[in-house]
Amino acid sequence: MTSQLRSTSIMLGLAPIVLVIALWQSLVSFGFAPAVLLPPPGYVFSRLLQQLMTWTFQQEIAATLIRLFAGFAIAVVLGVSIGIAAAASPGINAVVRPIVRVLAPLPKVALYPALLLLLGFGHGSKITLVAADALFPILLSTYYGASTVEQKLIWSAMAAGTPRYEILFKVVLPAAMPSILTGCRIGLVISCIVVFLAEMITSTDGLGHVLVTAARTFQAVDMFVPLITISLLGLILNVLLGAVRSYLLRGFPEA
Amino acid sequence: MKVVPSRSSEWVKPVMPKKPASAIIEIERVSQVFQTSARKDHVALSDISLTIEEGAFVSILGPSGCGKSTLLYVVGGFVNPTSGSAKIKGRTITGPGPDRGPVFQEFALFPWKTVLGNVMYGPRQQGVRTTEAEAQSRALIEMVGLKGYENFYPKELSGGMKQRVALARTLAYHPEVLLMDEPFGALDAHTRTRLQNDLLNIWERDRKTVLFVTHSVDEAVFLSDKVVMMSKSPGRIREVIDIDLPRPRRRSELLLDPRYQKYVVDIERMFDEVDETGALL
Repeated sequence: MTSQLRSTSIMLGLAPIVLVIALWQSLVSFGFAPAVLLPPPGYVFSRLLQQLMTWTFQQEIAATLIRLFAGFAIAVVLGVSIGIAAAASPGINAVVRPIVRVLAPLPKVALYPALLLLLGFGHGSKITLVAADALFPILLSTYYGASTVEQKLIWSAMAAGTPRYEILFKVVLPAAMPSILTGCRIGLVISCIVVFLAEMITSTDGLGHVLVTAARTFQAVDMFVPLITISLLGLILNVLLGAVRSYLLRGFPEA
Repeated sequence: MKVVPSRSSEWVKPVMPKKPASAIIEIERVSQVFQTSARKDHVALSDISLTIEEGAFVSILGPSGCGKSTLLYVVGGFVNPTSGSAKIKGRTITGPGPDRGPVFQEFALFPWKTVLGNVMYGPRQQGVRTTEAEAQSRALIEMVGLKGYENFYPKELSGGMKQRVALARTLAYHPEVLLMDEPFGALDAHTRTRLQNDLLNIWERDRKTVLFVTHSVDEAVFLSDKVVMMSKSPGRIREVIDIDLPRPRRRSELLLDPRYQKYVVDIERMFDEVDETGALL
């Protein structure tokens, strides 16, 4: 019953993707767009497979992934610890709240030129930008989750002899896990977007750089290859995070 | 026509200021005021004094909003009283501690831990070695009737089963006093009756001191040695009634016992009276 439901929902999920590819194919087939500028999907996918086998393209993927993971990891560590600390201590909350209010709505890409000057063209500037963008959704959802932990869970743990400082790790952190992971999911999508964007703006390698180089030299096929690669990477990472989530939240009713 | 409730039953005794030798909990002139808005204070508890003897099963009964849970939280050390103090074995209560084990209406089980993990939490926190804590916890889980459910998560259990786990989790760290805050309030009538029977059976083995908050007269009379009747707005102790019924108590015998019936009827009348006075204020 459940597996049947699941396969039905997978079919329903695949339908729009198939539709988009069909639309793309028909745009080329019916001559709305010249094949030189909009290559047909079959051509792009075979080019993608061919590229995936080459060492240089794998290097580009590796560069993008390193930045994505490093930035995302920094955002998770900072977001979760600041979020928990702000929820636990009114003093820290008073300091953090105004900074978050000012920085959260700021488009972090605007910091990128400054980051380039400070950190150079390599990994540093891109990792920092990814971390800065992914930080806020993780921080805010951690704070929300940690500040709405049921009081009686904390009381139960304290009565069992848990010291106040251990409550944070033994009760607040695990109890806030559903919200933390929701924040991580949003943060991961943002990381994928931002790493690509940063590489498009200024970079010497990475998938975004491949796209910009291809566009500047009118190689339409090579322009679509990195685009599809980053979508696939995002999909795979989301599935992995989903697996981590259902493992960590196996006891929670909402998971 | 309205029946005027009688208050002159011979077993109703006023609050006794004397301090028995075996007192385990002493509540002395506790008041609790919550500021609900800038101009209005809510007096949840007003000048409450109560002594609880070691090994007694004491119920606190009263209409909703009479501060009975607040009184329990003061004894638990979860809230500090605005004035007055609560003592356990002569020591002033300043915070929660493993000598007082709470059981809440909402169960408050750790959703990320299994039944066994929840029950083992207390002993592990007390420094008991894992193997030993596990053996003790398995025995407790069996005692509350959940053998076979050790590796289930709370979300997979019914309300009654969750409350059994919560009771086992609290008993696992051997508190001297059990603080039960309307523990069966969220359960259906049948489950509630079964848990009351099982709680009595468990309690009759080692006679721990129990402070039991409820708004059910039957429940209070069936379980308790002493019923503390509270009135609301402000929360005050109205009467302390000794329930002089033989133990071990069996529900089937007790329901036919005229003494039990009289306790229930008299306390219900008093409850109505207390609730009406509260509503008028």
